[in-house]
Amino acid sequence: MGLTYLEKFRDPSLAKNLVTAIHKESRLTLRLMEVCGTHTMAIFRHGIRNILPETITLLSGPGCPVCVTAQKDIDAFVAVSRQPDVIVTTFGDLMRVPGSGTTLAGQKGAGADVRMVYSVFDAVTIARQNPEKQVVFCAVGFETTIPTIAAAVLMAAKEKVTNFSIYGANKLTPPALAALMTTPGVSIDGFILPGHVSVITGVDAYRSVFETHKVPSVITGFEPIDILHAVLMLVRQNESGVPALENAYPRAVRESGNPKAREVMHQVFTVGDAAWRGIGLIKNSGMELKPDFKAFDAGAQFELNLTDVAEPKGCACGEILMGLKTPVACALYKKVCTPMTPVGPCMVSSEGACAAYYNYG
Amino acid sequence: MNAETNNTILLDHGAGGKASHALFSKMILPLFSNEYLDMGDDGAVYSVPAGRMAFSTDSYVVDPIFFNGGNIGDLAVNGTVNDIAMCGAIPLYISVGLIIEEGLPINDFQEIIKSMATAADRAGVKIVTGDTKVVPRGKADKIFINTSGVGMIPEGVNVSGSRALPGDKIILSGTMADHGIAILTAREGLTFDGDLKTDSAPLNHMVKMILSSGCEVHVLRDPTRGGVGTTLNEIASQSGVGMTLFEKDLPIKKPVNGVCELLGFDPLYIANEGKLLAIVPEKQASKVLDLIKADTFGKNAAIIGEVTDQRPGKVFLETAIGGQRLVDMLTGEQLPRIC
Ligand code: SF4
Ligand code: SF4
Repeated sequence: MGLTYLEKFRDPSLAKNLVTAIHKESRLTLRLMEVCGTHTMAIFRHGIRNILPETITLLSGPGCPVCVTAQKDIDAFVAVSRQPDVIVTTFGDLMRVPGSGTTLAGQKGAGADVRMVYSVFDAVTIARQNPEKQVVFCAVGFETTIPTIAAAVLMAAKEKVTNFSIYGANKLTPPALAALMTTPGVSIDGFILPGHVSVITGVDAYRSVFETHKVPSVITGFEPIDILHAVLMLVRQNESGVPALENAYPRAVRESGNPKAREVMHQVFTVGDAAWRGIGLIKNSGMELKPDFKAFDAGAQFELNLTDVAEPKGCACGEILMGLKTPVACALYKKVCTPMTPVGPCMVSSEGACAAYYNYG
Repeated sequence: MNAETNNTILLDHGAGGKASHALFSKMILPLFSNEYLDMGDDGAVYSVPAGRMAFSTDSYVVDPIFFNGGNIGDLAVNGTVNDIAMCGAIPLYISVGLIIEEGLPINDFQEIIKSMATAADRAGVKIVTGDTKVVPRGKADKIFINTSGVGMIPEGVNVSGSRALPGDKIILSGTMADHGIAILTAREGLTFDGDLKTDSAPLNHMVKMILSSGCEVHVLRDPTRGGVGTTLNEIASQSGVGMTLFEKDLPIKKPVNGVCELLGFDPLYIANEGKLLAIVPEKQASKVLDLIKADTFGKNAAIIGEVTDQRPGKVFLETAIGGQRLVDMLTGEQLPRIC
């Protein structure tokens, strides 16, 4: 007794029971993919990989918003920061992602006004305080972050903050899962589905992918007990041969998710195609500002003259995001590519697979 | 004279003329006064007992300059006091270099030097020499402080980052990450429930107590920038040993842990300003732990791990759920995750 809510999800004896059950019940060799970067990090931080049986391989999926941001989008952020009288605002992680030339952090060092914010609303505040400047927010992230960005755009529109705009590179999760399943060579025996994203999308959003591909799928949270529980459920689904779409995170995720948040998101954005770094274009996997909100589209405001550039040579981020390779199999890993000298975003992002292998290896 | 010039630091205050003199003699001297400084010479002349000396310097450029539980002033004094203490020395004298940006409110300045005086008193060190410069607006960020200090190492004491031995226990003198999280929340204007306060404190009395108890101590180090994780990595590679930490034993305050969870930070890499790591032979570990716990700043001390001969240069963490992971050095600043 006396355990707080959080501690319960880290309780060693509960964890031990789950691990014992996984060891006892797991016979088939399974490749399970954690889609979300926060799961990847939690798996490494709690040392979950080395307490699972050898039958189970955990793969990191395309769920880190920093990792999947296309190089061209990073280049665009950098190009915006070079414009006169512009303040670029961004979430921290994005600062160090290499574009084809430099990073936002590099730009900041060179004198550009790049500011780290904790919320998109901080960007709106900065815009209000600096009426003589254009304040651009680099909008990356999945369903979890998009509703807040939409809300900020609505607020700016209502309050007539006309010097605020976003450079949009937001993405949707279910289309990426569908794209993965139709990529040749990809073999996944189970998805550990993202907790935060699902709070917004609900279980329903994954239904069509599940019906088409019948891959065992479990939504779960980020505590060790959550993750172990999901692994056990995926083992059971595989052993019994009955795939299912299950919700192991009912304390946060409802069947229909958060319709209110989705409503706000669709009020401002419409679904469009998006380029995923290392993977390429995925149809209907992105979000574009609706015509009514074009005034908030930074992409339309600046002449950026971007050219298509190849991703860094040798970087295997794409294959890693699709579960085709692990970081250690990348020729550059630890040799050329380290957190101090990252080649690909997977090594930069605190949720990236290569960074996780490197830091917690 | 308008209100602005009355209440803020001006370039004149650093020009060496009347204003400089007034700043020093009216504001600084009364607070820092002692027989050495009062002499008013260009440097301090003092005698020291025979033996080995420790000498350390550090510059403080923290932003913001005021935060919950302290300010740049006491931080600068405590920091140097602790660096000297971590050499196993008893700190005696420190110097203070102040680089002030034109326009700093006099009241802020006064509060900062007041807390420096209080911190020096509390640590039992004397500020024996110093220097003040004022730079034009924009050439510094409010105020930068350099402190250097000297201390004497008692006979028989020999602590160094290269002396950790397999079998030793690792003691942390209190909760991790308090300072870093206090600064972060103050800087970003983040508001969280719970009291997030710096742990900035002088540790020299604690060190003196440990060393004079006759207990053998191999390593003393304060895990400031880079946190406990990076500091232990440094020691592991200096000593050529491995280390295992136990997550269940790591002391951390609940609200601090909460902020770390929220932002995706690992508390093992967050700065502390009033904590020390002591690496001691196993047979003396519980005695040293008791001594630390008896100190005002060591109430939450705990044995957090042990030194091994496995995987030299590497630090591993046994997680609460029985997993194991590497605790590597921190590379770059930790940045908050996106969602
Ligand atoms: S955006 Fe949310 S769901 Fe995606 S990786 Fe980050 S935490 Fe996970
Ligand atoms: S190790 Fe570096 S280069 Fe290789 S895939 Fe990861 S990020 Fe890309």
